[in-house]
Amino acid sequence: MTVPTTQERVSHRVPLWRDVVVLKWFTQVVLLVVVLSTMGFLASQAGDNLRARNISTSFDFLERPVDIQLSEGIDTHPDTGARALWTGMVNTLRMSIAGIFFATILGVVVGLARLSDNWLVRRLGSIWVETLRNIPLLVQMVFYFSVLTTLPRVGLGTGPINGWFHVSNKGISMPRVFIADGFYQWLVVVLIGAVAAHFVRQHRQQIQDETGAMTSPILWGLGTVALFGLVGLFVHPVFSWMGPVFGRIADLLDSLPVIAPQLGFSAIALGVAVTWIRRFLSAHRSARGHLSLSDDDWFRIVFAAVASLAVVFVAVRWTGLSAWTLDSGRDLFQVLADKFDVDGAARPFDAMRPDIIQKGKFPNYGKSGLTMSIGFAAVFFGVVFYTSAFIGENVRGGILAVPKGQSEAAKAVGLGRGQILRHVVLPQAFRVILPPTGNQYLNLLKNTSLAVAVGYSELVQVGSTTYNQTGMTLPVVAIWMLFYLSCSLTISVVVNWFNVRMRLVER
Amino acid sequence: MSEMSSGLGVPTIPAPPEEPHLPPRQWIRENLFSSLFNTVLTIVSSLVILAIVRGLLAFIFNPQRQWEATATNLRLLMTQAYPEEQYLRVWVCVAVILTLTAMSMAVWRAGSAVPLPGVGRRLLSGGVLLAIMALLAPFGTRSTFIWLVIAIVVAAGGEALRRFADEERSLSTLALLAMALGGLVATLWVVPYGSHTFNLQRTPRVLAEPGTVAMSTKLPWTLMLVVAVAAYFVGTLVRDRLPTNPLRATLLVTWLLMPPILLYLVLRDPSFDMGHVFTTDIPIFAAYAVLGGALLSWLTRPSTGEAGRIVAALVLVAGFAMFVTPMRMIVRLDMLLLAGFALSAPTFSGGPRARRRYTAGWLGVLGMMSWLITAINTPSTVDVPGEFFIGGISLTLMVAIFTIVISFPLGLALALARTSNMPIFRLLATWFIEFVRGVPLITILIFFSIMVPLFLPPGMHLGEVAAVVIGYSLFSSAYLAENVRGGLQSVTRGQHEAAEAVGMTTSQKTVFIVLPQALRVAIPPLVGHCIGVFKETSLLAIIGLFDVLYIARYVMSNQTEFMGSTKENILFVSLIYWIFAYQMSKASQRLEQRTGLGER
Repeated sequence: MTVPTTQERVSHRVPLWRDVVVLKWFTQVVLLVVVLSTMGFLASQAGDNLRARNISTSFDFLERPVDIQLSEGIDTHPDTGARALWTGMVNTLRMSIAGIFFATILGVVVGLARLSDNWLVRRLGSIWVETLRNIPLLVQMVFYFSVLTTLPRVGLGTGPINGWFHVSNKGISMPRVFIADGFYQWLVVVLIGAVAAHFVRQHRQQIQDETGAMTSPILWGLGTVALFGLVGLFVHPVFSWMGPVFGRIADLLDSLPVIAPQLGFSAIALGVAVTWIRRFLSAHRSARGHLSLSDDDWFRIVFAAVASLAVVFVAVRWTGLSAWTLDSGRDLFQVLADKFDVDGAARPFDAMRPDIIQKGKFPNYGKSGLTMSIGFAAVFFGVVFYTSAFIGENVRGGILAVPKGQSEAAKAVGLGRGQILRHVVLPQAFRVILPPTGNQYLNLLKNTSLAVAVGYSELVQVGSTTYNQTGMTLPVVAIWMLFYLSCSLTISVVVNWFNVRMRLVER
Repeated sequence: MSEMSSGLGVPTIPAPPEEPHLPPRQWIRENLFSSLFNTVLTIVSSLVILAIVRGLLAFIFNPQRQWEATATNLRLLMTQAYPEEQYLRVWVCVAVILTLTAMSMAVWRAGSAVPLPGVGRRLLSGGVLLAIMALLAPFGTRSTFIWLVIAIVVAAGGEALRRFADEERSLSTLALLAMALGGLVATLWVVPYGSHTFNLQRTPRVLAEPGTVAMSTKLPWTLMLVVAVAAYFVGTLVRDRLPTNPLRATLLVTWLLMPPILLYLVLRDPSFDMGHVFTTDIPIFAAYAVLGGALLSWLTRPSTGEAGRIVAALVLVAGFAMFVTPMRMIVRLDMLLLAGFALSAPTFSGGPRARRRYTAGWLGVLGMMSWLITAINTPSTVDVPGEFFIGGISLTLMVAIFTIVISFPLGLALALARTSNMPIFRLLATWFIEFVRGVPLITILIFFSIMVPLFLPPGMHLGEVAAVVIGYSLFSSAYLAENVRGGLQSVTRGQHEAAEAVGMTTSQKTVFIVLPQALRVAIPPLVGHCIGVFKETSLLAIIGLFDVLYIARYVMSNQTEFMGSTKENILFVSLIYWIFAYQMSKASQRLEQRTGLGER
C-alpha cells in the first residue's frame, strides 16, 4: 500500500457531488425552497378559500363597535374590539403576576417542607407535590370552579368570618385596604425615613466591621423605615405645604418656551455621546498613549456620533415632542399639587368591608370589598397550586444540589441554622433553582389561557368571543400569538438577566 | 445476558441500604419531637391533616354525592358512543394490549418480591389508618362500626403475618397485583355497576339504565384477566428458552407497530376489496419489495462506491418525475420512500449482517406503508352516525399516543437541525422552536381545529381530530427537541472527534455515536414530556372534543338522573389521570435508578 504524496493529494480534486461544502449548501437551499414554497402554497390556498367564503382578514374589527360583555376587568362593556382585547390582556397579566407571586411563595414553602426534619411535614409536602403534579391543570381548575359554583348564595351570613370574609357562589370577598387622600404626604415621610435608614444601616455596618459585634444593620434599617411609617401616620399633614410648591413648578413649566426642552434634549444627547467617545478612546489608549482602533471600533464611534446627531435632529425638527414633554411635565406637577392639596385631617389609608348589593333578582358583591370572582378564584388557585408543586421540586432539587460539605463547613465556623440557610445554602441553591423556575413562570403565563374553560375573561376567552361574533379568526389568533410571544420574551429576558448576575464567577 | 443487566445494557446500581428500623418510640422522638420547633410543626401539621382528611371523607361520603353517575357512565367515559354491536373489536384491542403488557413484564422481569412479614407490616398500618378514618368520617354509627370491624380484621391479619410468617418466604408484587385485579373483576359479578345506551335515533342522548353494565362486561373482563395471566406465564416460558435480546427487540417492534394496526381495528375495520388487493396492491408491494430489496442490498455493499450515489440520486429524480406523470399514488409514494432509503444506504453499509438488517427494515417500512395506504383508501365497515364517535379515555389515549409517536422523529430532526453547523437549518429550527414554545397550547389547538380547512386545497378533507393531532404534534415536537438538545449537548467533544478519526461520515457519526448516547441521557426528561402530553390532552375539552373531561363536565352532569354531579365526575376524572401519570412518573424514576442516570 502506497501512501499518497502531498502532490497527489492536492491534485486529486473532490468531485462536485462529494464536496461537503457544496452538499451542505445544496441541501440547505433545497430545504429553504421547500419550506418557503410550502408556506407560499398554504398561504395562497388560505387566500383563495377566504375569498371563496367571503371572509375578510383585516384588522378593522379592532376599531368597529362590538357587542361583548366581559365577566370582569377594566372595562366590562367594551365599545370596540381593541378595547375588549385590551381588557383581556390586562386580565391575563393580572392573573399572571398574582399567580407568579403566590406560586413562588407557596413553592418555596413546599420545597422546604419536603426537606424538613419532621416526618409529618415531609409527608405532607410530598403528598402535595405528587397529587397536584399528576393531575392536569385544566381538570383541577374545572374542579375548583365546580366546587365554587355550588357554594351557598350570597348573603350577609355567608363566609367563615361574618361580615368580614365572605365565600359564596359569587366569589370570595374580603376587606379592602386602599390608599386615601393623605397617602402622598405620608409617602414623603416614608421616603425621608428611607434616606435616614440608609445612614443608620451604614453606621451599624461600620460598627460591626470595626468591633466584630453583631449589630444586625439590615434589621435596624428596616426598623427605621417602619418607625417613620408609623410616626408618619400621625404627622403627615406637616407636608401639606408641598402642594403649593408643586403648583408653582407646574406654572413655571407652563410658561417655558418650546425651545427650552429642545435645547435640553440636544445638550443631553451631545453630552452623552461626547462622554462615551472620550471614555472609549481613553480605554483603548495604551499606557504609553498609543491608540489602536479596529474597524469595528471606528464603526462604534461613528455610530455613537451619528445617533446623538439624529437625536438632536429629531428634537429640533419635531417640536411636538418638546411641547408634549412640557405639557406632560406640567400635568404631572399639577396632579401632584392636587394630591397634596388636601384637608389636614385626611388619612393616608382607608379600609372597607365587603358589601352586598341587590340589583334585580340576585344579590351580588358591591365594589367596596376586595372580591375575587369565582372564575378568577378557580384559575388563581389552579395555577398557584399546580405551579407551586413544580417550583417546590425545583427548590428541593436546588438545595440538595448544594454539597453537604458547605453547610457542615458553615456549622464548623459557628454559624447558626438560619445563618447557614441564608448566607451559605440559599445563595448557592438559587443558582440551580432559577433557570427551571423561570421556565415555570413562562408555563404559568401560558397556562392562564386555560381560564377560557371557566369563563374568566382573559385574552383567549375574549378573543374567542370576539371571533365568534365577528368571524375574524385569523387576526385574533395573530394577536394572541404576538401577545404571548412578547410576554414570554419579556419574562425570559428578566430571568436571563438574573441568571447572568447570579452566575458563578469562575477563574 | 446476566441478571445484573437492565434493558439498556447498563449494570444495575445496588439500591441504597435501607434505614434501620428503629423501635417505634425512638422513631417518633427522632422524627416528630426532636426539638421545640419540630414539636410545634408536628402539632400544626397533624391538625392540618385531620382537617383535610375529615373534609375529604365528608365530601366523599356525603349522601348528596351521586357516585352512581360515574358508575353508570363508565362505558361513556371509556369509549363514548362506540356502537355496541361492534364492541368485540374493542375487546380484542384490550386483549392484545394486555397480552403484550403481560409478556413484556415477564420478559423484562418486572416486579419484585416482598417478604411476608413486610406484607404484614403494611397490612397492619393500613388497618390502623382505616380505623382512624372510620372514626373521623362523619358516618352513622352503623357504618362506623362496620368499617371499624373491617379495619380491625385487616390489622389483626397483618399483625399475625408480621409475627408468625417466615422471614424467608415472600410474595411477588405481581401476584399481589393479579390478586387485586382479580378482586376488582370479582366485584363485577356481584355489584351492579349500571350502564347506559346511546340513543342515536333522534337527538343523540344518553339514557341511563342502572344495573346492566356488569351483565355485559363481567365475562369479557374475566376473560381479559385470564388472558393476561396466561400471557405472563407464556412470557416466562419464552424468556427462559429463547435468547433475550432478539426477544426484547421483537417485543419492542410489536409495541411500535401496535398503534396504527389497532387504530384501524377499532376505528374503521377496512372492508378490503380482495380482488383489488390481490390484483393491484400485493403485486405493487411485491415488486417494490423484490426490486427495492435487491437495489438496497447492492447499495449497502461497501464496494459499491460512487455508482451507488448516482443511482440513489436517479431514484430520487424518478420519484419526483412520477408526480408529473399519471401514476397510482401508492407507486409514487413507494418510489419516494425507496429514494430515501437509497440515499441513506451508505450510512448503513457494511457486512452481510448489516445489509440484511437494512433490507429487512426496508421491507418492514414498505409493508406498513402499503397497509396504511390500502386501509385508508378502503371504505370502513364501522358504520356510525355523528361526527366522531370515539371519545373518553380511548380518545385521550389515542391522541396522546399518536402525538408522541409523530412528534418523536420531528423533535429529533429539530434538535439535530438546531445543533447542526448549517446556518439555515439552525435558523429555521430555532425560530420554529422558540415560536412554538412562546405560545400556549390552547391557541395552537384552536388554530388547528378551526383554521386547517382554510389551508387545504379544495377537495381535500381532514377530520378535526386528525388536524388537532397534527397541531399537537408540532407543539410537542418543539419541547421534545429541547429535551433531546440537552442530551446532545451532554455528548462530549471527544466522542465526535473519535468518530471522525475512525473515518465515519457525519450521518454515521450522528446515528451510531451521538444519538444513542444523547437519547440515553434524555430519557428522564423525555418521559416527563410524555406525561405532560398525556395530561394536556385534557385541553381537547376546550375545543369541544369528547374527551373524558368534556364528558364528565358537560355530558354526564346534564343527564336528567344526575343533574349537578359535576364535582364527583371531575374528581373521578382526576383520579384516572392521576393513576396514569403517577404510574408513569414512578416507572421513569425506577428506570433512572436502574440505569444510574440520575447520579453523576
